[in-house]
Amino acid sequence: MENGFLLEQKTLEGDLNSDTSHKSSVDFLMNWFRKRSIFVLAYGTGCGAIEMPPTFTSRYDAERLGIRGAATPRQADVIIVSGYCSYKTLRRIIRTYEQMSNPKYILALGSCTVNGGMYWDSYNTIKKLEDYLPVDMYVNGCMPRPESILEGFIALQKEIGEGKASSWQKYEENYEFYRKNQEAVLGEKVEPSYAADWYLYDGGL
Amino acid sequence: MENKHITIFHGPQHPGITGNMSVELDLIGETIQKATTHVGYLHRGFEKLIERRTVIQAFTIVCRICVPEPDPNEANFAMAVEELAGLEVTPRAQYIRVMVLELSRLAAQFLWMAGQSGSIGLYAVGQWAIADRDLILDLFEELTGARVYHMYIYPGGVRRDLPEGFLERVSTLLVYMKKRLKDYDDIFINNASFKNRAIGVGVISKEEAIANGYVGQVLRGCGIKADVRKDAPYLVYDELEFEVPTQTAGDVYARALVRRDEMDQSIHILEQVVAQMPDGEVMIKMPTHRKFKLAKDDTWVKVESARGEFAYYMAGDGSEKIRRMQVRGPSLVHAYTLLEDLLVGAELSDVALIMNSLGICPPEIER
Amino acid sequence: MGMMMFQKIKSHFATDDVEVKRNDLYKVGIRRDRLVELIHMLRDEYGFKTLNAITCTDWIEEGHFALTYMFTTLDRKHTFMIQTMVNRENTQIKTFSHEFKQAQIMERDLHEMYGINFIGNENLKELSLENWVHTPPLRREFDTLEFVNNNLTFREGRDDNVDTKAESKRLRVLKKAKKDADKKEAAKKAKEEAEAQKSKEEEVKDGE
Repeated sequence: MENGFLLEQKTLEGDLNSDTSHKSSVDFLMNWFRKRSIFVLAYGTGCGAIEMPPTFTSRYDAERLGIRGAATPRQADVIIVSGYCSYKTLRRIIRTYEQMSNPKYILALGSCTVNGGMYWDSYNTIKKLEDYLPVDMYVNGCMPRPESILEGFIALQKEIGEGKASSWQKYEENYEFYRKNQEAVLGEKVEPSYAADWYLYDGGL
Repeated sequence: MENKHITIFHGPQHPGITGNMSVELDLIGETIQKATTHVGYLHRGFEKLIERRTVIQAFTIVCRICVPEPDPNEANFAMAVEELAGLEVTPRAQYIRVMVLELSRLAAQFLWMAGQSGSIGLYAVGQWAIADRDLILDLFEELTGARVYHMYIYPGGVRRDLPEGFLERVSTLLVYMKKRLKDYDDIFINNASFKNRAIGVGVISKEEAIANGYVGQVLRGCGIKADVRKDAPYLVYDELEFEVPTQTAGDVYARALVRRDEMDQSIHILEQVVAQMPDGEVMIKMPTHRKFKLAKDDTWVKVESARGEFAYYMAGDGSEKIRRMQVRGPSLVHAYTLLEDLLVGAELSDVALIMNSLGICPPEIER
Repeated sequence: MGMMMFQKIKSHFATDDVEVKRNDLYKVGIRRDRLVELIHMLRDEYGFKTLNAITCTDWIEEGHFALTYMFTTLDRKHTFMIQTMVNRENTQIKTFSHEFKQAQIMERDLHEMYGINFIGNENLKELSLENWVHTPPLRREFDTLEFVNNNLTFREGRDDNVDTKAESKRLRVLKKAKKDADKKEAAKKAKEEAEAQKSKEEEVKDGE
């Protein structure tokens, strides 16, 4: 029975070889389309943003997988949280994430999102991103190489294709849990409050 | 009909901003009346973290202070610790350090070219520049083991010797770079659309530049020959022969020309280093490489990074730990005093252009 | 530059704390009531016109902050570090932002990190932190690890490698105990088999 470090490794790795059956052929087709066209929001939130230009330009070329950049949150599917999050950045990431329209995914890049990383004793960064936002895929490393980022995207595509990447639904269903953690760190006023109204009082979007 | 008066956030999530910072703009129509810089999105409290660590533990996080160009940080840290501990580095280690610093400067200038051309829409230059920078990162990976955060320049020397055949590979890359940079002249530096956008934008006067403590390309674009490698030489720069290029116009185009000439000078320095590399040890003999005894003293060291003068203040207290380390990067004064001055009267579409030409890098402002 | 300047500083300001660190770096320690006069003299007579940085070091065991100003000449060949000691509690010192424009942002940074009040500085708002209500972080009495342990949570499952030496010793002891137990078990089994074999032989013998 594994515990401790080995157990957490297993829960963090996306399983690249699993195979599940789909609910219907329409679901299969929608997921197939979704995974072939992933738009990544242009937001470099931390250190990991220095390995994103090599991944998206001609040498490692993520565009052959259908991945390209998008300028605004309304046009993006994936937000890459590249590295550590200070409190100030976390507030803006939450605000940007709630402006994105469903379906949306979060790819957490770097070891700092897993358990604090290099800045584990810093007074201004958060240690575990999962408490504040739902994460679909982690890519370990400091920095992860462009090949690792591409492997993370391929694993994310596989999960989207099987209908397993549904973190936005998890966010809506457990909104009180996430909101409680966010308020504990950022104070009472976590903007924008209109998102809380959508999730809590309006019966969902 | 009059133009409206609005306030917008040219905010942290924006394709036209260098890194993770924001500028709050008061506009009438499209002309900026007042600009306020906001940083702090990347604050990790480095100076507090380093006070808790010994020298070898602090050495692993020091390179992460400046994300696009980590090597001047390591060189500064090593030079400051060596001054406080009273060590002197071997000649071969000094030449290797110069080689690493110049390669890092070339890579950072390529990254600047990608950002500057992206801000006016010449995306092809960005694709070329990032791909050419990757060739330099391949060399770094062979030498140090990592592409971006090298952790190679250690107090006392460098961590390991050059692999076999490394200098030949550097020479081959330099021959390729010299040929390739002429293509960049055609597509970017002499491009009529870049000239139309950049000439006359973001002009800085010479008297202001000297008095206010600006550094780097800002001074060289105004006609002042300012370079730490010539004014207060460190490592072996007094034995190498190179020039400091200057222009007189003081606008965005002048700074771009200065940077382009500096890339040529970097290649020239690297050719000399490869030809003159001495033999010997790369790390001085110490009883243990893990403990340094720092004197109860303080010092101020500086190097010339790709964006300007990068300086560290370090104070020891007679024990193994560092009492205080303060980072004074080139972007602190540029992002606040200079940017808020330059943006008044500029157009909204020139904000990205001006920020890229000043070389503002937010992680070193708020550490 | 050089000897004449040091002589003048030593005699005029009655201080012996003048040091030449490298050929381009000098340092002087001065009392805070003569700080402005020294800076003006160096700026007007000897050309140290550019303010490069303002630093502060917390010497909590001696009960003061060491505030250092770095000035550089116009040809950038020489730097002077001017250091003065100020008290740690409720520090008040006059600003330099009216004479040197870049001092405003440097003093704002020190105000946020140490709690020093620069009288006359127009903008001492928060720079890197947001809604910070605890002690200014760079003071020595602020313990950052304790702050993290009180306010944030880590991922579970890391408590098995807290102290690797003790943990590996414990695992070694366990392994040895298991090996001994196995050996005993094997010896017991062998003895039982031998006895069973012996009783079988005796049976056969009896049977004959």
